[in-house]
Amino acid sequence: MTRTVTRPVAGWAIQAAADLLGAGCVVWATVPLLAHQGLATLALVAAVCGVAGGALRLVLAGVPVPEDSFLLPPPLRAWLSFLHTIRRVPWEEGAVIAIVWLEVLHTSRPRHTAFLGAALIAYLLATHLAESGASPGVLRPQLRMLAVGAGLLALGAGAGMLSAAGPGAGSALLRLIAAAALIASAGLVLPYVARREPR
Amino acid sequence: MSFSGPNGPGLDAADTEFSPRWRSSRHARRLLTLALAALFIATVTRRPEFAGLAAPALLLLAAGRGQRRPPRIGLRVRPSTRRAFEGELVAIDVSVSGQGECSVAWTLHPGTTIEIEGPDGATTAEGPQARFTFSPQRWGRRQIGTMDVVLRDRWRLAEGHLTVVLPTLDCYPAPAQQQTRVVLSRLPNRLGEHPARTSGEGIEFAGVREYVPGDRQRSINWAASTRRGRLQVNTFAAERSQDVVLLIDGTTDVGEPGSSAVDLALRGAAAAARAYLDARDRVGVITYHWGDVGWLVPGLGRRQVYRLIDAMLASERASSGTLSARGTSLRRLPRAALPPGALVVVFSPLLDQRFVETLRDMRERGFSMLVVDVLNTEPPARPHMPLRGGLGGSSPRASTDRMSRRIWRMEQEAIRFSLRELGVPVVHWDGVQSLDLPLAGYSRRPLIASGTRR
Repeated sequence: MTRTVTRPVAGWAIQAAADLLGAGCVVWATVPLLAHQGLATLALVAAVCGVAGGALRLVLAGVPVPEDSFLLPPPLRAWLSFLHTIRRVPWEEGAVIAIVWLEVLHTSRPRHTAFLGAALIAYLLATHLAESGASPGVLRPQLRMLAVGAGLLALGAGAGMLSAAGPGAGSALLRLIAAAALIASAGLVLPYVARREPR
Repeated sequence: MSFSGPNGPGLDAADTEFSPRWRSSRHARRLLTLALAALFIATVTRRPEFAGLAAPALLLLAAGRGQRRPPRIGLRVRPSTRRAFEGELVAIDVSVSGQGECSVAWTLHPGTTIEIEGPDGATTAEGPQARFTFSPQRWGRRQIGTMDVVLRDRWRLAEGHLTVVLPTLDCYPAPAQQQTRVVLSRLPNRLGEHPARTSGEGIEFAGVREYVPGDRQRSINWAASTRRGRLQVNTFAAERSQDVVLLIDGTTDVGEPGSSAVDLALRGAAAAARAYLDARDRVGVITYHWGDVGWLVPGLGRRQVYRLIDAMLASERASSGTLSARGTSLRRLPRAALPPGALVVVFSPLLDQRFVETLRDMRERGFSMLVVDVLNTEPPARPHMPLRGGLGGSSPRASTDRMSRRIWRMEQEAIRFSLRELGVPVVHWDGVQSLDLPLAGYSRRPLIASGTRR
């Protein structure tokens, strides 16, 4: 007797999208390659392992495991241990940390970081859709929130670019405008955060 | 009388309140990891673009906190039946109430000997209502399994988990095929469907006799009357019923699980019960175990089938409803459980010497018996060990095995021969073919009833 442990995967398209986004994030954060600096190699290996492990977990999500695990032959037991490990390890979390660490090893490049942030969010959402078997339609209620998040991401990138402008009155004015924009955007966001769903 | 399966209409069950355990989903944990990592780096390196990187994840998490998560939900589990035969399709309907806007995912973990079947054969389903179909594979009281319920909020950032133990199911042995019946030559004076040797108001032609006043005109045999010159009337056999007692030997269970001796005995007895009850006979059952005898007095009707099977299964789970006594021999059974003149159909592998002695004793007390031998296995052979040197010939161990198996077979033959010598027919049934085949020699004509009574 077997049982399916994880939820069915919705479709290969979403799964492939998650894998491609993960790989793209790794490449985006790595290039240009920085060798022998701040554990770059270790972070790269961790990022690759995280993305690959997450992809493998999604592929093996539908593999059934026996309900009774007594007196199984050693190869089958090894296979079950492998499946258990693949399903238990938080691959995506490790990949995210490693990718962010790879990004920080480079010199400041705010626009590049903003794109990476958008790609990372897309990667996590695609992974979520793939593992839960849900259709992309379930993200519809979050679209406005994602749009506001994208705005804040752009603001963050803009603030990062301001610091590169150097000292001066114009620069201070720009920082003031950026802070005001940040406060205004937070005010726009607050109703969404505080709003309760209708009962 | 025809019998359908016990799979009746669905059982109505009220909602039961449960409190799911809410926790963050994997998706939420990933978003939190991204947000914390980005914020930490932004603080340490003083690079604001990383704070922006954390912003979307933080926003989603903060918005998700505002979602309503019901602390309690109502759950209704409704199996289509609580009793089913082996291999019969059973459905279980589950529904949830009070979940609000949360989505619901169901995962069924079937219990032992429960096979998921049906059109899709799925163990998972989505939605507030779901239906799973399965079939129990072996008789006995079976746990259907457990049901995992996962609630997800609208933003899928929190998951409520719940595990429900599904109810038990009484699985009856799948009856074998039996259309014909063994009928005794001497039947009690009770109206039934078997033609008796005495004349009566049946439909089976018995003979012709001279007309006496009071005979019905429609029974006059005009052809015979013309030949003999006097009025002759047709006589018909009376129709009687008989008492049948099914004796099940549960002392030895050998063979592959699913087709063991007890499995076959139960399936054969279920088939016999249906066949004899179809013919308006009174059928009872006696289950014989080590020093333990359970019985159900003979009765009539459709309900008796299920009472009989319940009585058979009672030996497994020691449930109430049937009478049983530890340490009771068949000699001490009440007269109602083993009526004089009853046909005793025995299902046994004939491996227990005490049971065989009991059969001999019953025969000597005058019961008409018929033994259905359900032994379909032999002692397992030990693994073959070739002689050192690889020369031809077999090892002494192998020849000892062959010899002991041969002796065992001869012993079994001797047991069956001794019963036949006592006038107890012994037929072998393999559990696959219809029971009509081994019983054919005894169902075509009445079985001669013993003259003596206890």
